[in-house]
Amino acid sequence: MSTECPRDLIATVERNDLFASTPQSQNKSRHYGFLQLRIPQAQTILPGQFAMLKKHGIYEPLLRRAMAYYRVTRHDGSTSVEFIYQILGRGTESLSTMRVGDPVDYLGALGNTYDVQATKDKNALLVVGGVGSAAVFMLAEELLKQGTPTRLFIGGASRGDLLGYDDFVELLGKENCISATVDGSEGERGFVTTPLERHLQANANKPTVIYSCGPDAMLHATAKVADKYQIPAQLSLEAPMACGIGICVGCAVAVKHDCAEGFVYKKVCTDGPIFWHEELHW
Amino acid sequence: MMTDSQLLTIECAGVTFPNPVGTASGTCGYGLDLKDLIDLNKLGAVFTKGLSAKPMRGNAPWRIVETHGGMINAIGLQNIGAKTFVAEKLPELRQYATRIIPNVFGYSIDEYSEAIRILEDGEGIHAYELNISCPNVKEGGKSFANDACQAAEVTAAVRKASSRPVIVKLSPNVTDIAEIARAVEDAGADALSLINTAIGMSIDIHTRKPRIGNVTGGLSGPAIKPIAVRCVFQAYRAVKIPLIGIGGIATTEDALEFIIAGARLIQVGTANFYDPSATMKIIDGLAEYCREKNLNNISKLVGTVEA
Repeated sequence: MSTECPRDLIATVERNDLFASTPQSQNKSRHYGFLQLRIPQAQTILPGQFAMLKKHGIYEPLLRRAMAYYRVTRHDGSTSVEFIYQILGRGTESLSTMRVGDPVDYLGALGNTYDVQATKDKNALLVVGGVGSAAVFMLAEELLKQGTPTRLFIGGASRGDLLGYDDFVELLGKENCISATVDGSEGERGFVTTPLERHLQANANKPTVIYSCGPDAMLHATAKVADKYQIPAQLSLEAPMACGIGICVGCAVAVKHDCAEGFVYKKVCTDGPIFWHEELHW
Repeated sequence: MMTDSQLLTIECAGVTFPNPVGTASGTCGYGLDLKDLIDLNKLGAVFTKGLSAKPMRGNAPWRIVETHGGMINAIGLQNIGAKTFVAEKLPELRQYATRIIPNVFGYSIDEYSEAIRILEDGEGIHAYELNISCPNVKEGGKSFANDACQAAEVTAAVRKASSRPVIVKLSPNVTDIAEIARAVEDAGADALSLINTAIGMSIDIHTRKPRIGNVTGGLSGPAIKPIAVRCVFQAYRAVKIPLIGIGGIATTEDALEFIIAGARLIQVGTANFYDPSATMKIIDGLAEYCREKNLNNISKLVGTVEA
């Protein structure tokens, strides 16, 4: 699959629903937004790619925020794109104030895509946590299209943090969606890597590829499991980035390299955001 | 009616620029990184990412943090090296009508001269811009930019090694920018760029750790614009060589402020990150301003501040 040139466009808000999750184990709620935009152009957007977004005409905060596409619907001459975000700071707070019809600075589609071919005649396991689940929904659709048996392992603090869970159940079937929550309000209590490991032990003879997106700690834990069972894993990384197009060089990630230090810095935005776990110098 | 080209063509440091608008070093890669988003043939100049004689790995993350009205960066001058730039980037970049100005740095005078020697072999380069904000490791690590003698010394050495105009980029982190500007002019600089980033810091109040790996970094964006305008104004009164204004420029109005303060050219930096087409809008806006004010060329406005 080839990527199109990124476009800097004014998109329009079609939907911006806010919701909260209050885990039993914590008294603090986490706030999320479900954002749907209409881009005035038919765009080809690949699984795992992202866009840089900002409320149009607002310069505080200054920088756009990177967000992975959740779902994409192409129309004649326009594209409808959906994102799931967590309200964490000034940038996402500003996005959360947008109303239907508001103009949005949109730069996309950015970054690389998952290697879907890698699962040919293999099983795919999607391991996700938090808003990371958004980045694999289109991948799951793509895997199903090519007939790859696909199973989701989704984790979060509480039931309300399993973002997009119902959509995944509808797509993959309940039996293929395994969940874990820290407070035990949905699925098993604990981290998602526990059922993942159990599954790998029970299916040791099946060739498998892992695709993962989520908090840093979860990605590290998933990479460890991948190492232990010698399974290739593609990880979708996140890093602070000012531009998303490779010019600020802020989103550096250490990647193994044949040199004295053993690594070089690559850019999460244009070399990634998706890397094979074996490439990473963690 | 006069064309945009007639209104905006301007000479600076012996080079004719199609318009006074360039992209600042460190905010446009090697120019080509922006080719899908802007018309490089319309851009006045590309000031490339800083190039050293040898490639540089850059700093460990985190490298950037957004602050009010700007951002702090400590990228660590990661770059592909002058040799790779000449071999792999320059051939494509010179197909565009824009002026090509590699930004050059080193950690000793020899390293600056070495980088220039490599770039001298490159075809289609119009001038060099020296980043002198690096520490001089042979002189105890003090920045070249913070000492008039050292700033002059590196300027003179590069002037000798270069067949092309030499633009020296000054740091705002000095007591008297006019003194440094004069020293660099006397040492043979053909023009001055000002300003580089202002040193800043940001702390996470929960972890009590600095928000970037390098502890301190360079503050850029609209937050530093008034400092930059002041530096251009002071340098304009101190030297005769032309000035290139940089610091938080994002709009036509910002660019005009610098030109009125004394800049012949301007560079757009941090705005490229959040508004990649800012340079294109500013070029159109400057032509429109000339027509509105009945100026036959933008150069008529340079240094016309009534102060």
